[in-house]
Amino acid sequence: MILEILSSALDAAPALVFAALGATLSERGGVVNVGVEGMMRAGAFAAAVASLAMPTPLGVLVGMGAGASVAAIHGLLCIRWRSDQVVSGMALNLVMLALGTFLLEAVFSSPSSTPSITQLPLVFGRSPLTWLALVLPFIVHFALYRTAWGLRLRAVGEKPQAVAAMGVRVAPLRFGAVLMSGALAGLGGAVLSTSTLDRFEHHMPSGLGFMAVAAMVFGRWTPLGAAGAAAFFAFGNALRVGLSSSAPELLEVVPKGVLLALPYALTLLVLSLQGAKNVAPAALGHPYDPELR
Amino acid sequence: MRKALPSILSVISAILICFIAAGLTRDFGTAVDAFMAMWWGAFGDWPKFLETGASTTLLRPLGEAATKAAILTFTGLSVTVAFRVGLFNIGAQGQLVVGALAAAVVGAKVELPALLHLPLCLLAAAAAGALYALGPAILKLKRGVHEVISTIMLNWVAVSLVDNWLVTGPLRATTSGDNSASGTDQIHASAELPRLLGDLSRLNFGIVLALIAAVLTWVFLTRFTRGFEWKAIGLSQDAARASGIDVERGFIEAMLLSGAFAGLGGAVLILGTELKYPASLGAPWGFDGIAMSLIGQGHPLGVLAISTLFGGLRAGGTRMQLFGVHKSFPELIQGLALLLVAARMLWDKLIDRLSPRKPA
Amino acid sequence: MIELRHITKRFGGVPALEDVSLEVRPGERLALIGENGAGKSSLMNVLYGLYQPDAGEVCFDGQAVKVKTPAEALARGVGMVHQHFTLVPTLTVTENVVLGREPTSWGRLDRARAEKEVAATCTRFGFQLDVSAVVQELSVGSQQKVEIVKALHRGVKTLILDEPTAVLTPQEADELFAVTRHLSDEGLAVVLISHKLREVLSFSTRIAVMRRGKKVAETTPAETSPEQLAGLMVGTEVPSPRERGEGQGEGPPLATLEKLTAKGLHEISLSIREGEILGIAGVDGNGQRELAEVLTGLREWSGGTFTYSGNTLRSWNPRTAREQGVAHIPEDRLRRAIISDLSVEENVSLGRQTRAPFAKGPLIDFDKRRACTTALLEANDVRPRDPKIRAGGLSGGNQQKLVVGRELDAAPKLLVVVQPTRGLDIAAVAAVREQLRDQRTRGCAVLLVSLDLDEVMELSDRIVVLCGGRVSGEFGRAEFDERLIGRCMLGVGSAPHPDPLPASQGEGDLSA
Repeated sequence: MILEILSSALDAAPALVFAALGATLSERGGVVNVGVEGMMRAGAFAAAVASLAMPTPLGVLVGMGAGASVAAIHGLLCIRWRSDQVVSGMALNLVMLALGTFLLEAVFSSPSSTPSITQLPLVFGRSPLTWLALVLPFIVHFALYRTAWGLRLRAVGEKPQAVAAMGVRVAPLRFGAVLMSGALAGLGGAVLSTSTLDRFEHHMPSGLGFMAVAAMVFGRWTPLGAAGAAAFFAFGNALRVGLSSSAPELLEVVPKGVLLALPYALTLLVLSLQGAKNVAPAALGHPYDPELR
Repeated sequence: MRKALPSILSVISAILICFIAAGLTRDFGTAVDAFMAMWWGAFGDWPKFLETGASTTLLRPLGEAATKAAILTFTGLSVTVAFRVGLFNIGAQGQLVVGALAAAVVGAKVELPALLHLPLCLLAAAAAGALYALGPAILKLKRGVHEVISTIMLNWVAVSLVDNWLVTGPLRATTSGDNSASGTDQIHASAELPRLLGDLSRLNFGIVLALIAAVLTWVFLTRFTRGFEWKAIGLSQDAARASGIDVERGFIEAMLLSGAFAGLGGAVLILGTELKYPASLGAPWGFDGIAMSLIGQGHPLGVLAISTLFGGLRAGGTRMQLFGVHKSFPELIQGLALLLVAARMLWDKLIDRLSPRKPA
Repeated sequence: MIELRHITKRFGGVPALEDVSLEVRPGERLALIGENGAGKSSLMNVLYGLYQPDAGEVCFDGQAVKVKTPAEALARGVGMVHQHFTLVPTLTVTENVVLGREPTSWGRLDRARAEKEVAATCTRFGFQLDVSAVVQELSVGSQQKVEIVKALHRGVKTLILDEPTAVLTPQEADELFAVTRHLSDEGLAVVLISHKLREVLSFSTRIAVMRRGKKVAETTPAETSPEQLAGLMVGTEVPSPRERGEGQGEGPPLATLEKLTAKGLHEISLSIREGEILGIAGVDGNGQRELAEVLTGLREWSGGTFTYSGNTLRSWNPRTAREQGVAHIPEDRLRRAIISDLSVEENVSLGRQTRAPFAKGPLIDFDKRRACTTALLEANDVRPRDPKIRAGGLSGGNQQKLVVGRELDAAPKLLVVVQPTRGLDIAAVAAVREQLRDQRTRGCAVLLVSLDLDEVMELSDRIVVLCGGRVSGEFGRAEFDERLIGRCMLGVGSAPHPDPLPASQGEGDLSA
């Protein structure tokens, strides 16, 4: 039973892990990303649609591209035009929510889902994306803490003026992080429509993007922390799903809604115990204006 | 006027972009028909009225539009008052959910004469929303937790607990008379928002409440010293504090009012149209409030105006389905408009370039 | 050799630099002096690639070059240390220094090599720094060294220092000048932007004076005098400082702190009397700000007592403080005193927004607010005299006049002033100082916090020195001595006589 739950957690985790890593990259560079939900939705939709016409692995890449395209709009708004980053993210969420529904209707004349596609082939009995989700947190950790690029990105999230003064341009650095963030969120979305299921459904990603943001905060803006929190939340979800099939009587005692609320309530609890001010990147949410100093 | 220009241009551009999108996915003839249908569906079918003289062709659409406009106005005001003190209340959704539930429960479980019952329901909804918004304010003050994060979390807590537990479990409808026993019990007639035009239209008292709320908010924010203090807090907490303004109190008051408005939005939805807490609320009204507040430039009357427009478009959106355009189209327009408003700098630059130079 | 030829730069039509030419030669120490807004920083920002000149050219060894970014300036051997540090507080010294040009092997940041190289740079130029320390844990003086090392590590040949001593003690400043002298001996050109005449005369080998965007003179320390330089900077005869005019000084204590402890303050005991200016001296970040915050109700205290006007205070916040006659001219006016997005009249009402004449009952009294503002703008010569425009649209000097006018308009009993003249031109500085003296004469108790020791010494009747959040010395007017006060600022000296109040620190070290 425990093994089963762990196993299904392994399948549920990748979407969250990728999205949480994406959110972390963007925010370490100083750009708030509450648009993860919308980027995931774009990725999920594009990956499913593309996989109708091409091999699914390529479809996943298209999904990443779609996530990155939405992120590009976010980047333009926040970095180039110095808009409010939370507003931009929420606006993108609203647009993607409506656009997904609209395209589903316009292209497939279906209110609920796209036609089925071939799922990603399994590698050692699991989706290759599951294996990727196991190693990617360490790769992102290495990139952020052990490379010159990571040093610059962390610096730009703390104090962009310092980076600019050393002759490194702030905007491309941030833009790169936002694009990568979108690609990772798109990959997370693609997991849902190519591995977890075999189609895009109208409600995807149903709040997983926000849960990824929660995981990032829970993991104190570090890649390993965020991925760990994402895995933990995924385990919680798997536990809930597992319980409802194997031990439905337990759900009488602990209702499903309570379990659903748990990751968010936990994040809130942890935040209120530690306080968030000291760990968030100092320049988070502040557009960089080279003419102000 | 100049301040409102970016919003107006954004809305117009968003409508244009969506029109082109509809034209490309169908054809432009259909797109025109669909948009006209949306428009008549929103603000009354005047051609048909002139043709047939049947007042329902005007009043029925107006009723739908007004209800949606009222809810949008309330959530828009909710986001607006929190913004006044510099707080980004993304939690209007959660506050609306608990407010709606409170209205539904008090409406169904309490029996009172209408004169008392309706106000009690509204009060319960406002109180529930306010209390739910108090949490983020306190967390921000005591623990430094950013309100954007805490309100996002609380949204999902509310939605999970209410939609997936309370409404399907403890509070599920007991009467199994009719088949659709999803959601909570039907509220009593004494708790319903009175209809203004009887059976001609679903136009109810909700829009009047929204109108009053918007005007009172406007007067409070611009004419009262306390409103001025809120503005000062929102623009600079440090300067406000140094000027002897109680910033903490301002945060708490504004969040309470913000939550109360969101809760009232939920109440208007339940007491005006749904008449019980349904299995699903249908639209993310609370998130829409963010769009209303921002496109309305944080001006209560601007929020009212823009909510009326989008309330109307949404009511009319259902008619677009006849032309094969999904009814979520107005939401797409709204999202795009918000995105364009977010790119303020673009508009400011454009307007600067186009406007005749003032003599220095 | 670097030549700036006929540089002109305008901001929105307003000329900041007009046809300025200047040479910077290897091995020299060039001082660039002038009032605030005279264009000295703008000129150097052109050289450093932060501003593009509208006319004129920058020449390196005779060749005209367009310097478009600081990166290009660095590549050409020009480094600049700004007043506001550009360090990432959470990174180490090494990480800050190598940022943008990190040693890597196979994409991996080579930390060991980086630390070795940075340590080598420090040793070579005589800087003592722990290269693996996290920057936010260093003192201000050390952080400034990191800024200089950053430039040196890039192998700059010309180093521009923008007002480097503004935040240092006299001793730290001496150390800085010793090190930079060493740099010019090594062949580097050092450009010092300053308005402090004494340090310019003792440090530089050549002096260029700027006024209103133009270079008005070039001279050497040997050929000139402080009076002449001051005259050149201002453009007219410098008004000789008015007689100080003694304050009564003997008034009863208005505010008394006894063993007061708060975050950043340890057992502070001092009192402020009516009719005196009490100066607070100290190195930046040693408790001055915290002291001002306690007095104005912005900071809570955890121990000791605070007596105001004869009452031992239990609760104290900005509102009660203002109601009891405390006025506050804070250091950072855009953070604490002015809200730039509010109109001028709204800003004037700040602090008294719920009281007459700005309110009637719960409503704003628009008419009286307008009348009051118009009068205040006139009385304090704030330009333009328009109550409706955004306060952020006023120049810095006019904003400060607005703040000073507003705070004094309430006829305060206690006036807490922090860095009141920073960023103002000479005429405005004189006006503000005169207003402070007038308040004292009126019987107001004035607490003056300034990082500029000269200012504190010029204005105060009494000076209390803070170091590490403690009182490290107290000086009466007759005992003012720059060196002694400087030692107290560093916490290695004490007042020349036993402190009349308890809890003074480091007593007995009089021998040096």
